[in-house]
Amino acid sequence: MIEILICFIGVSLLLYVVLGGSDYGAGILELLPAGAHRQRQTEIINRAMGPVWEANHMWLILIVVILFMGFPPIFTTLMVALHVPMLALLVGVVVRGAVFTFRHYDAIQTPRSQRVYTWLFGLSSLWTAFWLGVIAASLNRGVIDPAAPTVWAAYFAPWWGAYPLAVGMFITCIFVFLAAVYLVGETSDPNLQARFQRHAQVFNGAVIVSGGGVFLASLGEQESLPAAFLAQPLTIVAMALATLLFVALWFSLKHRQTMLTRAIAAGQVALILIGWCLLYAPNALVTRAGPMSFYAQAAPAATLRQLVLALLVGSVFIFPSLYYLFRVFKLGGRPAPSSA
Amino acid sequence: MAFSLGFHIIFAAIGMTMPFFMSAAHYRYLKTKDSVYLALTKMWMKGVAILFAVGAVSGTVLSFELGLLWPGFMRDAGAIIGMPFSWEGTAFFLEAIAIGLFLYGWNRMRPWAHWATGLAVGVSGFVSGIFVVAANGWMNTPAGFDWVDGVARNVDPVAAMFNRSWLHQSVHMQLAALQAVGFAVGGIHAGLYLRGRAPDLNLKALKIAMAFGAAASLAQPLAGHFAGQRVAELQPAKLAAIEGLFETRAQAPLTLGGLPDVKTRTMHGGLEIPGLLSVLAHNDPNAVVIGLDRFPESDWPPVAIVHVAFQVMVGLGSGLALLGGLYFWYLGRGTFPRWFLRALVVCVPAGMIAIEAGWVVTEVGRQPWIIYGVLRTKEAVTPVPGMVYHFYLFLVLYGGLALATAWLLWRQIAAAGKNPETP
Repeated sequence: MIEILICFIGVSLLLYVVLGGSDYGAGILELLPAGAHRQRQTEIINRAMGPVWEANHMWLILIVVILFMGFPPIFTTLMVALHVPMLALLVGVVVRGAVFTFRHYDAIQTPRSQRVYTWLFGLSSLWTAFWLGVIAASLNRGVIDPAAPTVWAAYFAPWWGAYPLAVGMFITCIFVFLAAVYLVGETSDPNLQARFQRHAQVFNGAVIVSGGGVFLASLGEQESLPAAFLAQPLTIVAMALATLLFVALWFSLKHRQTMLTRAIAAGQVALILIGWCLLYAPNALVTRAGPMSFYAQAAPAATLRQLVLALLVGSVFIFPSLYYLFRVFKLGGRPAPSSA
Repeated sequence: MAFSLGFHIIFAAIGMTMPFFMSAAHYRYLKTKDSVYLALTKMWMKGVAILFAVGAVSGTVLSFELGLLWPGFMRDAGAIIGMPFSWEGTAFFLEAIAIGLFLYGWNRMRPWAHWATGLAVGVSGFVSGIFVVAANGWMNTPAGFDWVDGVARNVDPVAAMFNRSWLHQSVHMQLAALQAVGFAVGGIHAGLYLRGRAPDLNLKALKIAMAFGAAASLAQPLAGHFAGQRVAELQPAKLAAIEGLFETRAQAPLTLGGLPDVKTRTMHGGLEIPGLLSVLAHNDPNAVVIGLDRFPESDWPPVAIVHVAFQVMVGLGSGLALLGGLYFWYLGRGTFPRWFLRALVVCVPAGMIAIEAGWVVTEVGRQPWIIYGVLRTKEAVTPVPGMVYHFYLFLVLYGGLALATAWLLWRQIAAAGKNPETP
């Protein structure tokens, strides 16, 4: 039972990062100067994200629900210790979702109001992506302290430091990279294609640089990443594969193999994520009092059975309809202008 | 939290009923090929899109907030009452997929398949609502576990989900949503119609919305009566607070209006109807209705708030039921008098206010408990300091979101009124 739930959390996390992550990245891309391309770019992003961003966002909700029902001690520890970054994340989620919709559906669209929406959308995307990274970094630092004596130790120390900051930046770069790669295939305008391709290359570099930053920052942690890597050879394999794939990616990007490029980029991000998860599995959190593993913190068996049932029955409906959604909007050749 | 919920309940109510109106208009369009119905479908679709996005993000906040604000509650409750949330999550996911397909699927899908995705938005939203209300029902009538030495044992999530309040609460809430939104939408279109804007479109819109709203408003008194009887049996302290009944007695009167005074334990003002409360609660004018005197004062909810909120809810609900009956009468006659349409305009916010009042009744009426008879609210709240800042943060966030949404919808309505054929 617990293995099935861990799989669901893993798959949800993966799809959230690979699909939802690019929605953040698209917002961040809109912060970059676009000159005369501004309006076209916004239209493309609206059309690319519009049908799918809400479904992509659901993976996060699914993770929250699984933790909340299946592993309540992990959920509560997380919510107390990371209260501040969680709040920051939520503010970002609300502003971003609302502004994206408002930009598209405002009945009276003036250039000025559109500029404000775009600016807010980009800023909140950047903000939310960064805090996602901070939260991810804070899970396994061993600084979360359920018996903390001071306010600082309980609510700030768990996520404070160079390492969470570095991971926040790393995740942000990954999201923008994904978005740029995906967006190349969303337009037939060669100027914009070239633009997105350049962004993809630049942020590809940024991913590598900020990844190095994560390594450096981890040297100041209780357990540095190099040390953790040596203990988990599979992670080294995953990271090496992800790095090697960059060669294939550049080749594919250059030859405008839209679907192949997307698959390679998503595969790279998936490998990084899997490698990272392997470092800590089956622990969800590492606190000062020791690791909290999914096995030790699970809800009673009767609850787990019901949760698995709900997820399996749900999957029977969710995966086919999700496939249909992506087939209609993402696999159906050149997108037609939306009448929505 | 209360603030977030108070906000979310309105958006959820609109979000789970508007898609039905939209689908009904879309159905009429596909059947009649009358372009007015197409314009109406697209107009409502924009409202649905805005409200779904706002509902989705405010729902995300709620799912986190449960843990952020009530870690003590969730440590015990998550395993027991997580089940409706897991199903709700599933339904919500399907809704998000369906809305993506519907909003952007024009001309890309076969018309009836496209129509079905719109209906799926409504159905999955409506089902989500039932699950969430079931979870709230569990807070009123906890079930599915044994409370031994401060720890939950023998956890049975199925029994927790189908607790003794889930049915009456969800029937009451879903009808309330249909009623409130039906009247709100109907009233807005009545207003546009009265101003002479796109009379054909607005009359058609009015008829679709009011078909739902008026039917629900006529069914609601029955559902409300059913809910009242269940509360009398399951949460007598809440019923006593609702009615401001300080003394346990036979032939208990029903007090309309009035203000209960906890200090003197009397009711100021109000119209007493002898024996009616006994009839309503137990179908027998001589039945004994339990009063607040059976409970220690430390277990009393804030009596005045609950009583007044209940009067507001029932008063508005009755008014809407009356208008709902008149609606069918005038519909049969084929014409609506102007005074009736004006009354509908006045009633735009009535259903929403009634929902908020009803929510106050059920939540404040349960105090001082968060899980009735098991866990007190003050034991469950977060240990995180500086909760005041948290409150202000969410006040600003939700206040801003509510204003922005209202402003945006207003712009939609204004634009639609001016330019009905190309919304």
